[in-house]
Amino acid sequence: MQILMSGLIFGCIYGLTALGLVLIYKTTDIVNFAQGEMAMVTTFVSFVFLSNFGFGYIPSLLLALIFAAIFGIAIHQIVMKRVQSAPPLNQIVVTLGLFMILNGMAGLIWGHKPTSYPQAVKGDSIKLGSVFITPNELFILCITFFLMLIFFLLFRFTRVGLAMRASAQDIKASQLMGIKVTSVFTATWAVGAILGGVAGIMTAPITFLDTQMMFEVLIMAFAAAVIGGFVSLPGAVIGGLFIGVFENLIAFYISPEMKLVYTFLLIILVLYIRPQGIFGGKQTLKKV
Amino acid sequence: MILMLKQLGNKRIALGILIVCMLFYPFSVGYSSYFLTLFVITCIYVITSLSLNLLVGYGGQISVGQAGFLSVGSYSVAILSTKLGLPFLVVLPLAGIITALIGLLIGLPAVRLKGHFLAVATLGFGLSVPQIALKWDKLTGGFSGLSVTPSSLFASETQLFYFFVFLTVLIIWLINNIVKSSIGRAFIAIRDSEVAAQAIGINLSFYKTTMFVISSFFTGIAGGIYGYWVGFVSPNDFVITNSFLILAMIVVGGLASIPGSIIGALLFSIIPHFTDSYVGITNIVIGVAVVLIILFKPKGMVSMFNFKRNKSEKTKKNELLLKEEGNRGVNI
Amino acid sequence: MLTFNDVTVQFGGLTAVDNLSFEVPEGSIYSIIGPNGAGKTTVFNCISRFYTPAKGSIKFCGDEITKYKPHQIINIGIARSFQNVELFSKMTVLENLLTGLHPKLRKNIFAISLNLPTVKRSEEDSRKKAFEVMELLKITHLADEQVSNLSFGFQKMVDIGRAIMADPKLILLDEPVAGMNPIETEKISQLILNLKNEMNYTVLLIEHDMSLVMKVSDAVTVMNFGKKISEGTPKDIQNDPVVIEAYLGEVNLHAEVK
Repeated sequence: MQILMSGLIFGCIYGLTALGLVLIYKTTDIVNFAQGEMAMVTTFVSFVFLSNFGFGYIPSLLLALIFAAIFGIAIHQIVMKRVQSAPPLNQIVVTLGLFMILNGMAGLIWGHKPTSYPQAVKGDSIKLGSVFITPNELFILCITFFLMLIFFLLFRFTRVGLAMRASAQDIKASQLMGIKVTSVFTATWAVGAILGGVAGIMTAPITFLDTQMMFEVLIMAFAAAVIGGFVSLPGAVIGGLFIGVFENLIAFYISPEMKLVYTFLLIILVLYIRPQGIFGGKQTLKKV
Repeated sequence: MILMLKQLGNKRIALGILIVCMLFYPFSVGYSSYFLTLFVITCIYVITSLSLNLLVGYGGQISVGQAGFLSVGSYSVAILSTKLGLPFLVVLPLAGIITALIGLLIGLPAVRLKGHFLAVATLGFGLSVPQIALKWDKLTGGFSGLSVTPSSLFASETQLFYFFVFLTVLIIWLINNIVKSSIGRAFIAIRDSEVAAQAIGINLSFYKTTMFVISSFFTGIAGGIYGYWVGFVSPNDFVITNSFLILAMIVVGGLASIPGSIIGALLFSIIPHFTDSYVGITNIVIGVAVVLIILFKPKGMVSMFNFKRNKSEKTKKNELLLKEEGNRGVNI
Repeated sequence: MLTFNDVTVQFGGLTAVDNLSFEVPEGSIYSIIGPNGAGKTTVFNCISRFYTPAKGSIKFCGDEITKYKPHQIINIGIARSFQNVELFSKMTVLENLLTGLHPKLRKNIFAISLNLPTVKRSEEDSRKKAFEVMELLKITHLADEQVSNLSFGFQKMVDIGRAIMADPKLILLDEPVAGMNPIETEKISQLILNLKNEMNYTVLLIEHDMSLVMKVSDAVTVMNFGKKISEGTPKDIQNDPVVIEAYLGEVNLHAEVK
């Protein structure tokens, strides 16, 4: 049970990162390999607020998330906007380029030494039935479900969500209908960066704060997004939880080093049976 | 230099110059071991980026785990030469064949996947290989790696160098023949329209698997070259960032272009040479190069050189005529 | 030569083709006409094996074709063109035609990678064949042009040319003159007649352009809502009240909308 629980906690982090990935993909059709590094930068910024400026946890978090939004907007405006209609491979490689730049920059500015990062909520473990859970872990669980719900509702029931869905379907038609597609995309990148930032700030206390911290998380988030079908917001979170639990079970019963290998074996198996992921829509045959 | 190449505009002459440069290279760097290694590493990346371009540029199948095949190749060489004591001329082709078999294993499930799903599946492969190498320490030596028994065929480093350069040129030629053939056309056909490809009798799963097999075979050979040249393999030789780098090479150099793959591989093998003295700069420089080139030269660096046949005035006129005719067609 | 027997195709709850039967005699030009959405292209996609009928049989020269995979259809002698041209857009016209020869070429990877003389020779033969087809289509001057630069009319020609390359027995043409001007349409109708008269191909044609259908067809099937509503020579069809109603009904509908 304890293993399942800690799996769920990791799963939340994967789910949050995957949520950002899927949101950006669903709206702008770009798979953002730099998502993890953007999150890492945001986490470092929050740490600067925490330790260098001595702000409290909540103000630092909020300031960092504001930074994340601006950061996301900047990345879209400066780079991603220009490859919106480029072939998918070019888009992927641009985000890989951003990945390398951000990683290198962060290393230059903040060094490569891991530092510890404070938890959101301090306190002793609480016993729930047969499992122990720290308040911090509880906080992660709550915030994940809260954010998932918010974004699900936003996407489904608001005008902004409608605009996002429309732009995702057909850029030209949406423009004709008076939707400012570029602004919608910019907003999506901002929101995606915020989601990543939250994931990063949740990750840092569990691992350590360093430039490589989000790498494995990003990989697992990809796995989660794929299992979830890459277009489903709840699918991303459920995929994340699933991957988190699976990974922890493998680490416990087989070997911690092999969790990555088994996770990807699982993914390939899932994709072999259902090439569009578990929550992906039906594959449509191209009309000829 | 660029201007000169533009004026030459001829693949054969460019290739000739390239080969002459290769032959005189050891001499010009004074047989410095460092520069020879830099060149061999470049050769390895040239072969790998060509193989990946076959898969991605020509065949349209995204792979984000090519470095995994390099690892399989280099470990095959280490295990076959050291643990089994097999000779060089057996080991190197075997490394290619073993890697091709792994490629077949990856290719079989991968043929059902498209786009991002394929990217993630291959990403998983690229990530898993070093992990498996770490864990399977009875075979691979785990964290401490494995040494490669040097071949007795070559008396000096320079001879080995020339052999590898020859091998690289040979592989470039082989891949060039493949992409120009009916098989190469089948790959491009699958990339451009799967429906039409099927209608003209191209078996999608067979050809997609074939792409993976050919691509991994040559990459395995490249991995083998690495093993023999460096003399030692470890799980950290080819990690996932190498896969990213190889993908960047072909996109920056030029998709579905042989000169493009070579240019990309040259560029990204040489950049670290200039930036390695400043820790952490390499990633930034490569990242910036990738972003800038894709923003401003989306067809890759190869579009800066005029490798393709100059369009004659006649075809240009034809083009205009066509456009006019096309317009008329729409009006009516 | 090609026989549809009680073929039904369903997508979810929608019946796209409903108990369709017809027979294409060898050496003829056979047309399928009908309003948009009548299920004509679905018929083609069944023959190409992109779709599998829910029931019924499709026989080609007595051979049940539903057992084949899409890429095997060309080997039994059926080639097709596409409604919205499915060309390999980054290739030249010549290369597109060469792909049409795919099933006929030997593909020994070792011979190919070494570029052995046998490979060179067969490549030479293929080119010769491609130029013959281009001559027939009168597009030889475009051989080295990338197809994405061509006008829609020429792209259609290349699409048809690619189908001819493999010397099929039956050619399926899906709206070959859609979007063409009258001059181009005239060229295509000559070409279709040539295919039958000089090259002895059997042609199955889907087309909206009635003047073309009436001019070239030996027999016509009319479809509406997935069902066959009429069949016969072009003359019979023109005078069939059911057909007139189907088309006029559609016209009336348009009139009301306007």
